Amino acid sequence: MYIFDGAMGTMLQAAGLEEGYCPELFNVERPEVVKNIHAQYLQHGSDIITTNTFGACGLKLEDYDLQDRVREINIAAVKVAKEAIAEVKPSARVAGSMGPTGRFLQPLGNMSFDDIYDTYREQADALIEGGADFIIIETIIDVQEMRAALLASLDAREAAGKTKEDVQIICQFSFSEDGRTITGTPPAVATAIVEAIGADIIGINCSLGPEQITPLIEEIASVTNLPISCQPNAGMPQLINKQTVFPLTAEEMGPLMLPIVDAGASYVGGCCGTTPAHIQSISDAVKAHTPKERAHIEPKTIITSRTRLLELGHNTKPLIIGERINPTGRKVLAQELRDGSFIRVKRDALDQVEAGADILDVNMGVAGMDQTPLMERAIFELSMLVETPLSIDTLDPAAMEVALKNYPGRALINSVNGEEESITQVMPLAKRYGAALLCLPISSGDLPEKAEDRVALAESIVNRAYGYGLQPHDLLLDPLVLTLASGEDSARQTLRTLQLYKEKFGFPTVMGLSNISFGMPQRPYLNGQFLTMALACGLTTPIMNPLNYPAKKAFVSSTTLLGWDPGSAQFIKEYGYEDESSAPGNSAPKGPEKKSFDSNDPLANIRACVEQGEKEAIVELVKKALADGMDPLDITKKGLSEAMNVVGDKFGSGKLFLPQVMLAAETMQAAFNTIKEIIPASESLDKGTVVVATVKGDIHDLGKNIVAALLENNGYKIVDLGKDVDPEVIVQAIKDNKAALVGICSLMTTTMPQIDNTVAAIRAAGLKTKIMVGGAVVSQDYADQAGADIYAKDGIAAVNHANDFFETLEK
Amino acid sequence: MPIYNGMLPAIDKAEVKRYAGLRHAEDFPQNYVDEACKEIQLLATPKGVYQEYDYDAKTKTILSNPPLKIEGSIIEKHLEKSTKVYVLGVTVGEDVEIRSEQLFKQGNYTVGLLLDAAATTAVEQVADQVNEVINTIAKKQGYKPTWRFSPGYGNWPLEIQPQLANIIKTELIGLQVTENYLLFPRKSVTAIIGLMPANEDLKTKRGCTSCSQQDCASRKLPEKATTNDQNKAEEDSSKTTADVSGIAMKGQPTE
Repeated sequence: MYIFDGAMGTMLQAAGLEEGYCPELFNVERPEVVKNIHAQYLQHGSDIITTNTFGACGLKLEDYDLQDRVREINIAAVKVAKEAIAEVKPSARVAGSMGPTGRFLQPLGNMSFDDIYDTYREQADALIEGGADFIIIETIIDVQEMRAALLASLDAREAAGKTKEDVQIICQFSFSEDGRTITGTPPAVATAIVEAIGADIIGINCSLGPEQITPLIEEIASVTNLPISCQPNAGMPQLINKQTVFPLTAEEMGPLMLPIVDAGASYVGGCCGTTPAHIQSISDAVKAHTPKERAHIEPKTIITSRTRLLELGHNTKPLIIGERINPTGRKVLAQELRDGSFIRVKRDALDQVEAGADILDVNMGVAGMDQTPLMERAIFELSMLVETPLSIDTLDPAAMEVALKNYPGRALINSVNGEEESITQVMPLAKRYGAALLCLPISSGDLPEKAEDRVALAESIVNRAYGYGLQPHDLLLDPLVLTLASGEDSARQTLRTLQLYKEKFGFPTVMGLSNISFGMPQRPYLNGQFLTMALACGLTTPIMNPLNYPAKKAFVSSTTLLGWDPGSAQFIKEYGYEDESSAPGNSAPKGPEKKSFDSNDPLANIRACVEQGEKEAIVELVKKALADGMDPLDITKKGLSEAMNVVGDKFGSGKLFLPQVMLAAETMQAAFNTIKEIIPASESLDKGTVVVATVKGDIHDLGKNIVAALLENNGYKIVDLGKDVDPEVIVQAIKDNKAALVGICSLMTTTMPQIDNTVAAIRAAGLKTKIMVGGAVVSQDYADQAGADIYAKDGIAAVNHANDFFETLEK
Repeated sequence: MPIYNGMLPAIDKAEVKRYAGLRHAEDFPQNYVDEACKEIQLLATPKGVYQEYDYDAKTKTILSNPPLKIEGSIIEKHLEKSTKVYVLGVTVGEDVEIRSEQLFKQGNYTVGLLLDAAATTAVEQVADQVNEVINTIAKKQGYKPTWRFSPGYGNWPLEIQPQLANIIKTELIGLQVTENYLLFPRKSVTAIIGLMPANEDLKTKRGCTSCSQQDCASRKLPEKATTNDQNKAEEDSSKTTADVSGIAMKGQPTE
C-alpha cells in the first residue's frame, strides 16, 4: 500500500495564492510555500507526493503567458518536492503531475492529437529530467487526451534512457455521476485502452467522493491485474459565501477509503478538499486494515470503441465484423470518396450496425487516391457516429498510423502478414497505439495450401509479434481462405487451419467469407454454408455483410446451434415468423402484414388507402380501378380529393396530426403519378396558379413547403419562390404567372413587418391578386392590419381558403 | 474559446415524434421516423463552442469584452443569483435544411417534415452534451448551474443574438446571425447558463410550463419538479433542457 498526498490548490490559496495568479509559478517564485505543503503531507503519512504542476503544460501556461517557461517550472517543481522529501521522509517518492489541457481533441474538439501530444511531451520531458519517480496523468475526462498524454510520457521516459523501473506512469481518469467520463468512456473501457498502450498504474481521481468511486474501482479491477490508484475528493464541493466547502471531514474520509482498498486500489490519497489531516486519516485507516486479496484476471482479447468493450474468442459468442465499408469493387462508393463525400460510408456504418455488425471493418483503398487523409476522415466520422469498435483495414502504414492515432479506442488492425516489410511496419504500430492485431499467414508470394504450413507460418508471425512486446491476448489469426476454384480441398484446408489454430494458440480467429465462392453460382448460399462449417471449426469472428440475408441467417443459426443464443431467443426473434415451406436457407423474409383494402367499392378502398397513408398499396388500387374502366377524374375527385377532405377535417378536429396529413398527401401524389403513367393524356385537376414565398429576411421555409405541397396536391399549380424573398420578386412572379392568389408567410416577429411591406408592394403594383398570409406568429388581426385578404392558420386552412376563393372566382 | 462538438450515435425518436406533433398520434408508421433519424445522423455536422464569463447580477452585465448587458425580466431573474455565466452556441449545420427542401421537392413530404423535427432533436442533443460539459466544470468548482436559457425564451429579445454570438465567436463553428436576428444555419442554438453558489435556488420556471402557447402540439405536461428541487430534476434528466426549445413561443423561433 502506498499513500499519496491531498489537494495542492486549496493549500496554495490558504498560503496566499491570489485569484488570477498562476499556481505553478510558485514553484519558481515562492518555492518555500510549495515545500512547506509537501512537508506537511509527508509528515501526515504520504509515501508519494505530487508536484505542483497540474496546469504546467504549455497549453495551460498560455493562460498566464508563461508557455515559454514549461521546463523551468516543471524542473523547479520536482526539485522542491525532492527537497521536502530529503528533509522530512527520505523514503518517499515524487510523482510529476500532468492535468488536463482543458481542450478537446478532433473531431470532438479542435485540437489535433499531435498538438496535445507535443504539449504533454514537453512537460513529461521536464518532469523526468527533474527526476520524478512517477508521471501521474490525472483528472482526465477524455480518453483521447489520455492516449496522447500516455504516449508522450512513454516516449519521454524512453528518450531519457529510463524504464518503468525508474519512472512509472499512472493514468487517472475522472468519472461523472453516471460512471462514465464526460465523453462517455466507462472505467473498464478506459482501462483496456491505456493498459494496451502501456500504462503502469491505472486509477481514478477527483469529481466524485469515495462512496461513488468504489464501484468504479471494482470495475477497473475486473479487467486488469495492474496496480490501481484512487484519489477521491472529500465529497462533492459546494461554493457557499465565496468559500468552497467539502462535506467529508478528515475523520470520515479514512474509513471510507477501505472499501476502495478492498476493491483493489493499492495507491490511495485525496483530491480536491483533502488536507494533511485527511491524508493522516486515510493513512491510519489503511495501515490498520488488511485488504482483501485481488482476484487474478485472465487476460482476454478485448477491443473497444470510445464507449464500448468487446471480448473476442472461443469463450464468448461469435461476433460479426461488417465488411461493407470498402470501396473495392464498389464504384459508387469509390467515386463518392473521390468527391470527398462520406455520406455513404456513414450510411453503410449505420445500416450494418442495425443489421447486427459488432465491429466495422474500414477500408479506404480507392485506386489513385492517398489513403491517409481518407482514413483520417473516416475515423473522425465513424468514431462520432457509431459505438461499434472499428477494424482498421489497410496495408498502407501511414494510413494505419493516422487511423490508430485518431481512434479513441483499442482498434483491431487488419492485418499483418509474414513479409518482413509488413512485420516491421505494422507490429510497432500495434504495440504503440495498443491495438489488437490480426495475423495473416501469407508471405512474399507464398500462399500456403496445406493447413499445417499455414499454422507454421502463423507461428513464426506470432513469435515476431512477441518480440515487439505484443502479448497473446493482443493477437488474432486469419486461417486464409482460398477460392474453391484453386483446389477442391481449399475449403477443407481453411477449416482444418481453424481447428489447428484453436488447439495450438487458442486466439480468436477472423476470416472473410466471400473468397471461397469466387466464380461460382449461388455465392451467398455457398458462403452461408461455409460460414456454418467454419463457426463449428473454431471461427470466432467472421468478416461478412450482415445485410446479406443468407449469410446473416447462417450466422444466427450457427451461433444458436453452438449454444450462444440462450433460449434460441435471437433465432426465434429474427426468423421465427418465416414461411417454412420456402427453400431452406435462401428464403427472403415475409415482412410485416400489409393492410388490405378489399371492400366492394373501389373508391372507398382508395379513400381508405389515402386516409391511412399507404403509399405502396394505392398504386395497385388505382391501377385496378383504371383497368376496370373507371374515369380518372372520378378517381381524383370522388376518391383522392374526397379522402383529403376527410383528412383535413380530422386534422382540424385534432384527430390527425401534421405528419399524417403529409403522408396522406404523399399517397395521393403516388395515385396521381400512377394515373399519369397509365393515361398520360388524362385530364388533371387544374384549379389555378398560386405563388408562395417566405418573406424577406426570414429563412424558415418548412411551413411554406408544407402549404405548397398541400396546395399542389389539391390541383393548384405552385410557383414556389423559396425563402428570404424580396417583395419585388414576389410582385414580378405574380405578373409573370398571372397568379390569382399569392401566399406569403413569416415565422418570426422580427420578420413579420415584411408581410406589410410585401402586401404594400403588391398593391402599389396595381395587382388585384388575393393575398393569403400565415406563419407561426401571424394572426387574423395582424393579417387585417397588413391589408391581406385571407389569413390561414395552418396548411389545411390554406387549402380550404384557396378552394373557396377559386370557386367564387369560377362563378 | 473551447470547442466541443458532441456526438450523435443515436437520435431520441420519442423527441422527434414530439417535435413533429405526433405525441398523440396513434398508428403512425415508425419507418418514416426511423428514416428521418438516419438521415439526420448522415447529414448533421454537430459543432459547439462555449466560454465562461464573470457575471455582475447587480448591473445585469456579462463581463465579457465588450461587456454585455442582459435585458428582459425573466432572464434577469434567471441569472439574479449567478456570479458566473457560460455562453454556448451549437449547430448541426446547413446540409439538413438543403436535404429537407430536396425531399419536399421530390414529393417525400413526410420524411421532409420529420427530418426537420429530427434536426431539432439533434441540435438539442448536442446542446445537452455541451451543457453537460459545462455542468461538470461548474460542479467541480462547487457551483450550482442553472438550466440553459436562450434568446427568445420568455421576454429575452432575439435582438441580443449578435452580441451573444460575438462574445463566443460563433464563427468558429460556422454559426452566424442574420440581419433579422435569426441564427444561420437554422438548426442552431445559442444559450446562457448561470453559475450560482451551491446554497442558492432558482425561482424561474423552466420548460413548457413557462410558455404561454397552451395549445402547442409539442407541449409537455407540467413537470413535477417544484421550484426547490429544480436543479435536482435537472440532474436527473438531461432531456429536460430540451423542453424549452420545442415550444413555439409566441413570436419566437421553434428551433
